[in-house]
Amino acid sequence: MTDLVLQALFSGLLVGSVYALVALGLALSFGAMRIINLAHGELVLLAAYCAYVVEGRLGLDPYLAIPLALLVVSAVCAVLFLMIDRIREHRELNSLILTFGVGIILTNAILLIFASDARTTASATLQDATSVGPVYAMNGEVVAFGVSLALMVALWWWLKTSWYGRAVRAVSSNRAAAKLMGISPVRTELVSFLVAGALASFAGVALYTMSVVQPALGHALTVKAFIVTVLAGVGSIPGVFLAAILLGVTEALTVTLASSALQELAGMVLFLLVLFLLPNGLFGARARRG
Amino acid sequence: MLETQNLRAGYGHITVLWDLSLTFREGALTAIVGPNGAGKTTLLRALTGLIPYEGRILLGGQPLAGRKTWDLAAQGLVMVPEGRLVFRDMSVEENLCLGAYPKRCRGDVSAGLDRVYALFPRLRERRTQAAGSLSGGEAQMVAMGRGLMSQPKILLIDEPSLGLAPVIVNEVFSIIARLKEAGTTILLVEQNTRVALSVADDVHLLRGGQVRLSAPAADIALDRLHDLYFAREAETA
Repeated sequence: MTDLVLQALFSGLLVGSVYALVALGLALSFGAMRIINLAHGELVLLAAYCAYVVEGRLGLDPYLAIPLALLVVSAVCAVLFLMIDRIREHRELNSLILTFGVGIILTNAILLIFASDARTTASATLQDATSVGPVYAMNGEVVAFGVSLALMVALWWWLKTSWYGRAVRAVSSNRAAAKLMGISPVRTELVSFLVAGALASFAGVALYTMSVVQPALGHALTVKAFIVTVLAGVGSIPGVFLAAILLGVTEALTVTLASSALQELAGMVLFLLVLFLLPNGLFGARARRG
Repeated sequence: MLETQNLRAGYGHITVLWDLSLTFREGALTAIVGPNGAGKTTLLRALTGLIPYEGRILLGGQPLAGRKTWDLAAQGLVMVPEGRLVFRDMSVEENLCLGAYPKRCRGDVSAGLDRVYALFPRLRERRTQAAGSLSGGEAQMVAMGRGLMSQPKILLIDEPSLGLAPVIVNEVFSIIARLKEAGTTILLVEQNTRVALSVADDVHLLRGGQVRLSAPAADIALDRLHDLYFAREAETA
């Protein structure tokens, strides 16, 4: 029993790191643009299917799909951005409808092309298990965890030290003041959107190599990212990371101790509990309410 | 030279500035004084392209219509807004660094920081602190320091004395005077007419969105300015 719980905690940690990547992408585009991209999960899904094409159809290593995924997701991001940029009034609300619609289109396009079968890596190396003390992980999971951590550090570094990264934070913090600093808000929004897309690309390939993907996953991922963002309560990278791990662990424990049918429900219950008990999130300031 | 011709601006259906025609001499320090609601800040916002306007704004004879705020800032038309417009969730030093965002300023960020810290030692003490946690006066210093980091050719300053202790007000104004000596064109919006007059070359008095007086600072008596300021007599200027 203890071993099972330990294993669930470990698996939750590994998958949580990928949830964190998805949530950080969502948070990044929300910060700079003040819009919630409801198609963000579908961008991740798109990248996952790029990995499937490269491995399943072309017979290559799935990690070679990363450049392809970056290309495809960036292109979709750019088109999506141009559409959002055309919204003149009530951008917050209208962009919700727009991105929701784009998400449905993407899901159905994938369904049409690849059918509804669940896909995962066929690579024996990636599916092989490594033992870490008393617990086990697929090699694919370990790689995904490492890459996710590295990307989070890279994102933190980029936001902290690069001029574009600082511009993204400035626009998120105060749009009018950012303009006065010589920062073009539209260009900065596009940059934040493309970086969010890049994070989604890596997350998608990671998911394909560590778990199972199917066309309906996109929507579920957006919801998870949303839950993580609300759990974290603040836009800080460590906060999002911890919240994502909490969600991953909650899901894994539910699957281990109860049933895999309840996995999605567990996240929702966690979400509601936090909203009731800690409306500012786990790490949000207590004072800022309403 | 910066110039407005029949400038009309406001917010939505409310017009704040009515047919304002003003000139700001190159290399001079022009003070814009007037009571609350006179349209002083609105004038700065129109000049930097933050709000739409009718009429014309000319910079060196070239109309600025359609030029974006960030392009103007990149070229040296820099505004120091009131202290509320700092990046609250970023540190003091990150705020200052953002002042150096225009490409021509990125070369000597650390030298720029040293200059600003020399002017405002308080900011050096607080450089890792979030700007949102500063007092009003300290936030004002951050806004001012950030503007200096942008190496302005034309500097628009909105109420620099707001929330500052009198000693620091004097320091800030000596900094402004030094910038002018260095050849920067300065537009200074200020409610404190006495200090404004002490550093200004030219003075424009605004009230109700219109110019009530334009004159060299040397020709203006403080009493007369105050009479106009408070509308204590029929205007004859």
